[in-house]
Amino acid sequence: MLETDRIQLHKLVEEALPELDMMIGWTESCDPLQTTPVFIRDAKLISKLTLGPFCSQNLAGYLVKPPALESVPKDAKPIGICVKGCDSRSLVALIQEKFISRDRVRIFGIPCRGTIDWRKVAQRVGLSDVKSATVEDDFLVIDASGTTHRIGLEDVLARKCLGCRYPNPIIQDVLVGQVATPRSSSLETTYRDVDALDNKPIEERLAFWQSELDRCIRCYACRNACPLCVCQDKCIAETREPRWLTQRVGLPEKFLFHFIHAMHLAGRCTGCGECERVCPMDIPVTLIKEKLNKIMEEMLGYSAGLDPDGVPPLLTFNPGETEI
Amino acid sequence: MRIGVFVCNCGTNIAGTVDTKRVASEALSFADVVYATNYMYTCSEPGQQEIQRAIGEHGLQGVVVAACSPRMHEPTFRRAVEKAGLNRYMFEMANIREHVSWIGNDREANTQKAIDLVRMAVAKLRFNNPLFSSKMPVNKRLLVIGGGVAGIQAALDCADGGMDVVMVERKQYIGGKMAKLDKTFPTIDCSSCILGPKMVDVSQKENITLYAASEIESISGYIGNFTVQIRKKATYVNWEACTGCGLCTEKCPSKKAADYFNEGLGAARAINIPFPQAIPKKAAIDAQFCRQLNGKKCGVCAKVCPVQAVDFEMKDSIVTEQVGAIIVATGYDLFDHSAYGEYGAGRYPDVISGIQYERILSASGPYGGHIRRPSDGKEPKDIVFISCVGSRDASVGRPYCSGICCMYIAKQAILTRDHLPESNSYVFYMDIRSPGKNYDEFVRRAQEEYGVQYIRGRVGKIYPRGDRMVVQGADTLLGVQVEVEADLVVLATGVESSAGAGELAEKLRISYDQYGFYMESHPKLRPVETNTAGVYLAGACQGPKDIPSSVAQGSAAASKVQSLFAHDTIETNPQVALVNERTCISCGKCIQVCPFGAIQWKELRGGIKKAEVLPTVCQGCGVCNATCPPKAIQLQHATDNQILAEVNELCA
Repeated sequence: MLETDRIQLHKLVEEALPELDMMIGWTESCDPLQTTPVFIRDAKLISKLTLGPFCSQNLAGYLVKPPALESVPKDAKPIGICVKGCDSRSLVALIQEKFISRDRVRIFGIPCRGTIDWRKVAQRVGLSDVKSATVEDDFLVIDASGTTHRIGLEDVLARKCLGCRYPNPIIQDVLVGQVATPRSSSLETTYRDVDALDNKPIEERLAFWQSELDRCIRCYACRNACPLCVCQDKCIAETREPRWLTQRVGLPEKFLFHFIHAMHLAGRCTGCGECERVCPMDIPVTLIKEKLNKIMEEMLGYSAGLDPDGVPPLLTFNPGETEI
Repeated sequence: MRIGVFVCNCGTNIAGTVDTKRVASEALSFADVVYATNYMYTCSEPGQQEIQRAIGEHGLQGVVVAACSPRMHEPTFRRAVEKAGLNRYMFEMANIREHVSWIGNDREANTQKAIDLVRMAVAKLRFNNPLFSSKMPVNKRLLVIGGGVAGIQAALDCADGGMDVVMVERKQYIGGKMAKLDKTFPTIDCSSCILGPKMVDVSQKENITLYAASEIESISGYIGNFTVQIRKKATYVNWEACTGCGLCTEKCPSKKAADYFNEGLGAARAINIPFPQAIPKKAAIDAQFCRQLNGKKCGVCAKVCPVQAVDFEMKDSIVTEQVGAIIVATGYDLFDHSAYGEYGAGRYPDVISGIQYERILSASGPYGGHIRRPSDGKEPKDIVFISCVGSRDASVGRPYCSGICCMYIAKQAILTRDHLPESNSYVFYMDIRSPGKNYDEFVRRAQEEYGVQYIRGRVGKIYPRGDRMVVQGADTLLGVQVEVEADLVVLATGVESSAGAGELAEKLRISYDQYGFYMESHPKLRPVETNTAGVYLAGACQGPKDIPSSVAQGSAAASKVQSLFAHDTIETNPQVALVNERTCISCGKCIQVCPFGAIQWKELRGGIKKAEVLPTVCQGCGVCNATCPPKAIQLQHATDNQILAEVNELCA
C-alpha cells in the first residue's frame, strides 16, 4: 500500500512541478529507519520522493526560514510541500500569522499512521547494520545484523504520535493515500504525559526538570527545528540588547531559555514534536509546550493550527475578555 | 552615572513604620549612588530645593525619590529635576508609602522592603536614557457624541469659546432622555422649558454642525488629530428641504407605527416628527412601518409635501470630519422590567415604567398630560410606585444604585397629587437616597405635604384582581405583610449603559466596566478624562447621573477641551514604544494586539515591511512589548533591560 501511495505521490508531483517553484518532500537517508528532507526543482529527482512512517521531519518550517520573510515577488510560483497531519497544523498556524499566504503553497496532504522514533528502535535492537525496516500492521519489522525483529508499533512510535488526534491534514490541495484513524480522541490520551507529571508532588516535578534541563547544552536545535520559532538569528536567547540571557553555563539560563521558548509558543504550538525529536540530549522539551497547549485548550478552548481564518487568543486584544 | 537618593518621611506616613534614615544610609552602598538623604516632606518646596541643591553640589545625573505613589508626585519631581538641568526622565520613584508603610506595621520588615524597592529603582535608573518630546499641531475642532443634555452643555460651552463643534446624535432629534421628561426635580420646573432654549442654541450656533440620525462609523488618529467617519442614516426625507410643516405626518395612512418617543404608549405615523419642540424639526420615515418602503402602493407623503423633500431612494451616507478632541456623552438606557416575572414581566398594561409615566404626565405626551391608565383610559385613584427595579439587585445583574430613581419617584408622586388631588400614592422603597442639594427636603415634602405613603420594603408580587392590580409586599419597619390594590403601578426602572456602548468604546479605544459604563481615567482626580488622550466623558455614559451632575460634567469636559485647545501644539509623551528595525522580524503581532491601533506597517526600500509606532497614539501600555518575540519593540521608559535589572536586584 505504501508503494501505491508513493507512485501516486510521484505522479501528482510530476504533474504539478512545472507550475511550482520547487517541491519539498522526504527522501531515503543513510539507513532505512530515517529519511531526510529533499528540495526538488529537477523532475529527474521526483522518483526519490518517499513517504511513510520514517518521514518524521516537519517540513513546514522550511517555508519561513529567512529569506522567506523578505518580500516575495508578485509573480513567484507556489512551493509544493508534503505534510502529515501535524505538519499541516504548523502550516495553518503560519498562514494564520501571515508568514505565508495560502496561495504560495501547494499542499500534498499525507494521512499519517504514526512516525517511528529511531532512538526507541536503537534502544531495542541497536542501529548497526540495519538492512531493511517496514511497518506491517501493528509491527515494525527490522532486518538488522542478520536477525529479523518484530516490535510492537506502540513501543517505537514517537511520543507525540501516541496521543495524536489529527493524523490527517487539516488543509491540502491533494490527498495522497487513504484517510487515517486518530489514535486519540480525548484530552486525557493526548495529554497523558503532562497529567502523569502534574500528578507528582511539586518537589519531584522540580527535580525532574532540573535533571532533564541540566543536560541542555543550549545548541538551540529545538528552536531551529521549530516551524513556529520565526525569530531565528534575532532570537533573544542570543541578543545582547535586550539582555535576557547571558552565555553563562548554568541551570537558571537553561531554564529561562526553555521557558521563553515555550511562552513564545503559547497558543501557537501545534505539538508537532520537532523540538523534542531533534534534541541531541534526549530532553522531553515538547512536554513543556504540551502543558501550555493543555492550558490553552482548557482555559480558552483553543487548539493551534486548526482554522486558517482563526486568530490565536494571545494575538488579539479583547477588552471584554472574561477568561483571563 | 552619579545618582542621588532622597527618602521621604512623609511626616509620619512613612517614617512611622519605616526607618527612612537607614534606607538612605543603605542606599549609599548601591552602585552609582553618590548621595543619599532623608527629608521630612520631599514634595514640599524646601524638599524640592534640597534635590535641586544636591544635583548641583554633587553633580548628580539621575535622581531616585523614595516616597508615595508616582501617580501622586512623579510630575512634581520630574519638574524639579528638570529645573535643575537634568532630563525629566532621568528620575525614578520608589513607592514606599502605598506599597510599604501603609500596608504593614513591622518596622524591620518594612525598612527592608523599602531598601529593596530603592535598590530596584536605582538599578532601573542606571539604564535610563534622556527622553525628549516632540510637538504635534492641534486641530481645534471638537466632536461631541450624543446630543443629550450633557452633550449639549459641552457643545455649547465650547462653541461659546469660539471653537468649531461637530455633534453626532443617533436619534433623529437632540435632547436625549431629558426631552422626554415632564418636570425635573427638585424644583419641578418644566423639562422642555429649560432644555428647549439650549436645543435651539445648538441648531442656531453657526459653529456647531449637527448630524442627527447619525452614528459613528469609525475613528482613527490621536489627540489633536482624529479622523471621524460618520454614518448619516437614511431618513428618506431631504432635511435640506424639509420645513417641518408636518403635513406628511397628518396624511400618512400608516397609523400604527411604533411611538418610540412616547415609550410605546401611543401610536405614531410612519413619517413623523417625534415631538413639537424637536431639534432638528425635520420629519423622518420609519422604514419598518412605511407602506411605500415595504412594497405597497402609497407615497402619500411625497405627494403632499409642499417642498418635495421625501426621497424613498435615500441611502445611508458617510461623511468624514477632522477633529482634535472628542467628548463622549452617549447617555444611558433604562432597565427593561420584563426581567421581573413577579412584576408581570411587562404583560400587564397598567404596570408601567417610570419613563412611561413621565410621558403620561407630559402635556405633549400620548394623553395630553391627563393622567390615565393605559389599559382602559380611566383616571387612576390608587397609584403604587416601586423603587429599585433593576437597581441594587444582583439577581438581575444590576448591583449598583441608579441614583436618580428615589428622586424621580418623589417627583412623580408629587405631580400625581397635583394632577389628581383625590388620588393616593404609595411608594415601596429599599432606602431613600437623596443626597443632592435640596433633595432630601424634596422627598420630605412628598411625604409630609403631599401625603405620599412611603412603605419600606420589597414588593414580592403584582397580580391582577378585577380591573385593578394587587401589589403584595413586606413593610419591614412594621414587620407585616402589606397588600395594596392599585389602579396603576409605576416601576422605577434603573439606569443601564446605553445600547451599543461597548462597540463605540472599541471604536474610541476607551475602556468600560462590566456594566458597559465608560471608565474615567481616575475616579477622583481625573473624572472626565479617559485613558485615551483627547477623549473625554460627560454625563451618564460614565455612570448613572442626574441632570445637574450631567450638565456639570458636560461643562467639565468642555473645560478640559478648552485647555487642550488653548495650545497650538501638544507635546507628545516620549514614554512610548519604539521599534528596533534591525531586530524586528516583521511578524506583525504587535499590530494585531495593540489596543490603541498605534502600530502600523512601514515599508522600507526593497519592499521589506517593519512595524512602526505612532508615538502620539501609543499609550505606553506595553502589550506589544510583551507579545514581540524578539523584543524588538521596547517601551522607552520600561525597557526589558530596565525591568531585568530590577528583577535581578530583587532576586540577588
